[in-house]
Amino acid sequence: MTALAASVVEELRRIAGRDSVIANADDLRIFERDASIEGAMPDAVVLPATTLEVAAVMKVAAKHGVPIVPRGAGTGLSGGAVTIRGGIALQMTRMRHILDIDPVAQTALVEPGVVNQELSLQAAAHHLFYAPDPSSQKACTIGGNAAENSGGPHCLYYGVTTNHVLGMEVVLADGSVHWVSGDAPDHVGLDLCGMLVGSEGTLCAITKIKVRLLRIPPSIATLMAAFPSIETASHAVSAVIGRGIVPAALEMMDQMTVGAVEAHYRAGYPTDAGAVLLVEVDGIPESTRELMSAIRAVLGENHGYAMREAQTQAERDLLWAGRKGAIGALGRIKPNYYLHDGVVPRSRLPQVLSAVGEIGEHYKLPVANVFHAGDGNLHPNILFDLRDKDVLPQVEGAGEEMLRAVIELGGALSGEHGIGLEKSQFMPWIFDADDLQAMQRVKVALDPAGLLNPGKIFPDPERAKVHLAGRTGFAVEAKWW
Amino acid sequence: MVVRTLAIEKPATEQEVAHVLRESSEAGKAVVPVGGGRASGMGGVLERGDVELHTSALDRVIEHSPADMVVSVEAGITLEALQAELARSGQFLPIDPFGSPGHTIGGLLATGWSGPLRFRFGSARDFLIGIRVALADGRLASAGGRVVKNVSGYDLMKLHYGAMGTLGVIVAASFKVFPKPLYDVTVESGDGWAGVERALATPMAPVAVELFSTGRVLARFFGSPDAVKKTAAGLGWETADESVWREHSKAAPERWARIATPPASLRAVLESLPAKATWWASPGVGVAHWSFEDAGELAAVRGAAEAVGGSLVLMAAPDEVKRQAGAWGSPPSTLDVMTRLKDAFDPHRTLNPGRFVV
Repeated sequence: MTALAASVVEELRRIAGRDSVIANADDLRIFERDASIEGAMPDAVVLPATTLEVAAVMKVAAKHGVPIVPRGAGTGLSGGAVTIRGGIALQMTRMRHILDIDPVAQTALVEPGVVNQELSLQAAAHHLFYAPDPSSQKACTIGGNAAENSGGPHCLYYGVTTNHVLGMEVVLADGSVHWVSGDAPDHVGLDLCGMLVGSEGTLCAITKIKVRLLRIPPSIATLMAAFPSIETASHAVSAVIGRGIVPAALEMMDQMTVGAVEAHYRAGYPTDAGAVLLVEVDGIPESTRELMSAIRAVLGENHGYAMREAQTQAERDLLWAGRKGAIGALGRIKPNYYLHDGVVPRSRLPQVLSAVGEIGEHYKLPVANVFHAGDGNLHPNILFDLRDKDVLPQVEGAGEEMLRAVIELGGALSGEHGIGLEKSQFMPWIFDADDLQAMQRVKVALDPAGLLNPGKIFPDPERAKVHLAGRTGFAVEAKWW
Repeated sequence: MVVRTLAIEKPATEQEVAHVLRESSEAGKAVVPVGGGRASGMGGVLERGDVELHTSALDRVIEHSPADMVVSVEAGITLEALQAELARSGQFLPIDPFGSPGHTIGGLLATGWSGPLRFRFGSARDFLIGIRVALADGRLASAGGRVVKNVSGYDLMKLHYGAMGTLGVIVAASFKVFPKPLYDVTVESGDGWAGVERALATPMAPVAVELFSTGRVLARFFGSPDAVKKTAAGLGWETADESVWREHSKAAPERWARIATPPASLRAVLESLPAKATWWASPGVGVAHWSFEDAGELAAVRGAAEAVGGSLVLMAAPDEVKRQAGAWGSPPSTLDVMTRLKDAFDPHRTLNPGRFVV
């Protein structure tokens, strides 16, 4: 039974077709959550096939005052796609066509439901690739990536999604369709495209994306190195970058993660190491050779050992499979995980990780760390078993304390997963009332009725009472942002 | 035309900037933010102007953390002063705007000016990680932060970048900075477009390729020494001194326009310029700058640029030229959306009225 009037569901069916509207409680349950913890049922799911259908659905939502939440593959980790106020889930995955790959301009035009990895696979025929590579790239969609401004291991060198989006076709809350930016640089007027990327479905639905493709580098070198501790590995990371080298990727895993990954993938990770670094450089062969030999020297000077460079593509793939599949492999330890993605200034990594460790011990919860060390973007995985009674409040408490540690060290709430539902209550930790009010001006200007993905990014006054007693603004007071 | 003297304000703190804005806004006065004055000729003719708000006293480095490769500065600092600070740690900000020296960081962000290095690094938009802005109602608002990767809240950095100070006055900014290249070589030829094509196709991509209307081509490579030497040698061109870039960045004619098109369309648009036109271009970016002579020449070229989805924008020109030709060209199709944002931030049109598209 849905809270939407039957006549509204009928309107949606007239727009998208009978088979593309789901309003039965059993089927709706599939769309209850994303890859984060909290869920809520939508009242209807619509799977539009065209921009015009998206616009028409948006107009129906506006006319009846129904919340509407765009959704991609549901791999998001911050509750961004959760219909917390019910309403319509706008499921974009039927719009999954790569409309054009232009090998001369090195661009692609895609629909939002195109899977991230599929674009790189298709572009490879032209020796091109799409750089942003979230660990969920086998499943996540480009539309979701653009809405969340997703990152990935290789954004250390290549930049995050917003650096690769040239333009978008978007549908605003009133159902109007617009192209923002495009192939030409320096579009006249305000940079709406830049502002809409990463707006987490709260300002628009994205219906087409023009992205930049890059040439596949002629050679790639991938090195694994062991370290006695996270601290020594962190110093090594700073030393590499301090030497003037920005590798394509610089990833770290702690001992617990390495143990689980090695048990699962047999990639040859040293399970006795306190931390393992994965370093990748790419370019012409002379460049990768020179850079890799410099990196080996720096890592060696900084307690790196058991260094092993992938000799074949298969070895490289295996090393990356371990890194990108790390979170799945952690299922060997506990069936459930809770993953945060705070960012700190890189030099604060040892401090924040020791705080993360202490918090885990305090709550008696195992914590496995796998993260983008070059960016200072940590990913502590709090491992638990949902079948344990009363574990969830403990997990959430530990996660909140870890984020607090991040903020106290001058960091930010999220590097790539988004604020969504999960961290909206914590926004006042880093932004004061005037900062949030400035962001609200944008929200109100583009979605005055507040129907697009309500309850996200901004603190919800109702929920705030529970969470925020006496803490607001502590980071804001310490420094001006 | 009535020539009036504007009142000049040089606030020394962000609170004073906010105060000037609030007072002006309440009194119905119009405020013209000024950084280094390098882009004072850009944009439409002001409808009103009562107060010139200079940011030159806001010139501190707030924090430079070399290990984190992040710097926060007040908006009135010049690009040269910031680069000098970063150079002490072997770092730099890869922006090399034309009209140098003398740009302030706030001015560069507000105008969106860029230079040849944009080909590899993007513009300042791409490594601006935090911003603090004084709004017309006297509030001070921050967005972003001081970490290199951040999706906490709306990306208001993008909204203020290139907005010509019409949504607020930037008072401080944070950037991701870069290590100085291990090796840096520039080579040149006189091969025109054929040379550009060769330079853009090298296996190790250049960081900048500039083409001049004379046919001169400059290509610059950053990277590890052997790789850079091999790539540059492969082109078989003359080595140029690094100082060519400093000279080039001084370019700022009395009348000039920026042409921006999809990179693949730039050549055709430049071929529509008058035969003896003086211009220079970053073909890989899709941007060219044209030192035009007569306002009458602009319409046809702007038409050609807009026909391929691009633009022609005046960088500096006398008021009569701006009135005749228009500073920005055809209004963007999203003007209505932009106007809603303008109304949200500056409802009384206090900031630079008439100078931007909203």
